[in-house]
Parts: sequence; C-alpha cells; structure tokens
Amino acid sequence: MIQETIITIISTLLILCGLIFFLGAAVGLLRFPDFYTRMHAAGKGDTLSSFLVVLGFAVYQLHDFKFTEAGFKENWWVLLLILKLIGICAFIMITSPTSTHALMNAGWEDDIEPELKHKDANELEKDYPRK
Amino acid sequence: MKWLALIAVIATGSLLIYAVSDFPDWGSASSPANGGVEGAGRSVSQTFIEETDTLTHVPNIVTAVLADYRGYDTMFETVVILAAGMAIFAILRVLRDTEKPVDQSKHDPSIDGDHQRIIIGTTCRLLIPVIQLFALYVVAHGHHSPGGGFQGGVILGASFILLGLATDLETAIARFSEKQFIGLACVGIFIYAGFGVLGQFYGRGFLDYGALQPIFMTDGEPMARSHAMLGVEVGVAFTVTAIMFAIYANLASKGELKNGL
Repeated sequence: MIQETIITIISTLLILCGLIFFLGAAVGLLRFPDFYTRMHAAGKGDTLSSFLVVLGFAVYQLHDFKFTEAGFKENWWVLLLILKLIGICAFIMITSPTSTHALMNAGWEDDIEPELKHKDANELEKDYPRK
Repeated sequence: MKWLALIAVIATGSLLIYAVSDFPDWGSASSPANGGVEGAGRSVSQTFIEETDTLTHVPNIVTAVLADYRGYDTMFETVVILAAGMAIFAILRVLRDTEKPVDQSKHDPSIDGDHQRIIIGTTCRLLIPVIQLFALYVVAHGHHSPGGGFQGGVILGASFILLGLATDLETAIARFSEKQFIGLACVGIFIYAGFGVLGQFYGRGFLDYGALQPIFMTDGEPMARSHAMLGVEVGVAFTVTAIMFAIYANLASKGELKNGL
C-alpha cells in the first residue's frame, strides 16, 4: 500500500515537472523574438519535458511490480516495459537536440538573421561562414 | 451560388444525421459488426475470431485476415503501391542529361562529409541501424504482434529517407541505388504472387497457402499458412520500402536524383 502511494507521488511529480517544462517550451516558442531563440526554447524544453513525462510513465508501471523473488518471476514483463520506455527516453535525448541543430544549421545557411542589439555584433559570421 | 451550396450541404448533412437513427445501438449484440443479424447464421467477424487460431496458428487475427483470408486484396494493394511509384517515376523522372554530367568520383558518399555535419552524421550512424533492425523486427513479428509488411516496410524506407534528408540524396543513392530500388519493388510483388502460384503447382487454388505444406515440411496445413504469411509479408515489405524511397528520391530532386533537398 505504502509502496503504491510513493510510486504514484513520484510519477505524478515527474509528469507535472515535464508538463511545466512543456509550458515553458510552448511559451518560449511563441514569445521569443527570432528563429534561433525560438528553436532554442523548443529544442531544450521539448527534450527535457518529454524525457520527464516518459520517465513518469516508467515509474508508474512499477504499480504492478512486487519487489520479491516471486514478483520478479511473475512480473518480469513490467521490467521489460520499463526498459522499452527508457529506450524511448534515450531516443528522444539523441534525436530531439540533433533535429534542433539540423534546423538551426539549415536556417543559418538560408540567411535567416538573428535578432541582435547591434547589427554588426554578429561574431558568428566570422567563425561559421555560410556556404 | 454560395447559398445554393450551403443549402445542398445542409440538406445532405441532415439526411446523414437522419440516417444515424437507423444505426444499431452502440455495442449492440445484434449489430452486423458484433454478432450478426438475428436469425441469420454466424457473422464473418465471428468466424474469423473463432477459427483463425485453429486454421492458421496466427495469434494476430488482423494479419491473418489481411494476408490469408483477403490475400487477393492485399496483393493488389501492394500492386497499387508499385503502380503509384511507377506513376511518379513516369511523371517526374528526368532521363535526359540536361546538364553536363557530374563527376561521380568527386562526390564523397561517407555519412560524415565535412566537419559541419558531424553531429548529424554521428546521430545517423547511431540511429539508422537501430531503425532498420526495428523495421525487420516489425516485419518478422507481423503475424504475432501488431505490425507486418506495410508497417515494417514504411519504417525501413523511412530510414533511407532519413539518410537522404540528413546528408544529401547522392549519399543515400550510393547505398540504395535506383536500379536496386526499382528491382526490389518488383521482386516484392514477385514473391507475393510466387507464393500464390506455388500453391497451384500442388493442384490447389491461387494463394491457397495450405497447399505449401510439403515445401515448408510442417506438421499440418495451419502452420504452413503461418509460414506463407510471413513470406508474403516479406514481399510486401520489399515493395513498400523500395517505393517509399523511390517516391522520396524523385519528389525531392524533381526527378533528377541529384542534390535533393
């Protein structure tokens, strides 16, 4: 009983944290001034929030699991399910930042100008010449 | 004119809403989808649910219905996909060399390319094998769990499209050339139809997988049907993979299969 309560609380906290980050990402996507900062918000917020939400699901699956020898024998499939969910987390951690990077790169090469305080302060032009 | 259209739409909509009252109740046992009409015999779905396991030994009834009970349907669905790919080929593909030929030896088909692509290249190198392995799993497990030839083929094709998107089209074409994908698409249909014709050699009907029992050397006809379904799914997966990539390659490069997006 106490185990179930703890698991519910932990998973709810994780999912709620994820939703807060989702909100941050959505607000950033809408409110930031230019393409690059928007992508920054979407890339970072999305990655962490989906990671937290899926991790919350993984923890929630422990409801069906008993931490005894018989529990391991009977409910091994719960561990398999958790492994798959963690696999999804790993995939998101790899792919989401990469796609953000690819989009940024494409934007840079398509001459999208970042919003700057001083127009000539764009140091990137020297370090990363456009193709 | 607008008002006329509005009146027509409202009339059609109200007719449709009126027809809803003739629907069977939600979850009603006597609806044709659930238990069949009262007084009539067993419904088709009931037959599938009760007999699939004994007749085909396939746990996934959907696959059994698709690949065996409605084998013709699925075969020609695959042919439709091939026809779609061929239509796109016929419309878009530029076979004349309008520009001077590009020196192929200069193109570097490695995934990493120049150093600016190193993040994308590394991710591709990491992910594409996993995606392809998962696609093969979806194909091979199609008759035991959700999945099958179409789904696995789409995933496999998407892995090549991902490579084409992340680097450039030449890099993807270097790994899956035009000759290969058009050939593979036809081989897929050939495998499917081949399993059908194979049954005719034993004096049974086209696509009657039970006749293949001597070839697969199984205990009974049901297991032969199960194996034949797997073979058919592999054929579907071939065609879908090849056509997915063919459509992407032709659309992305306006039929020139150069540069791409």
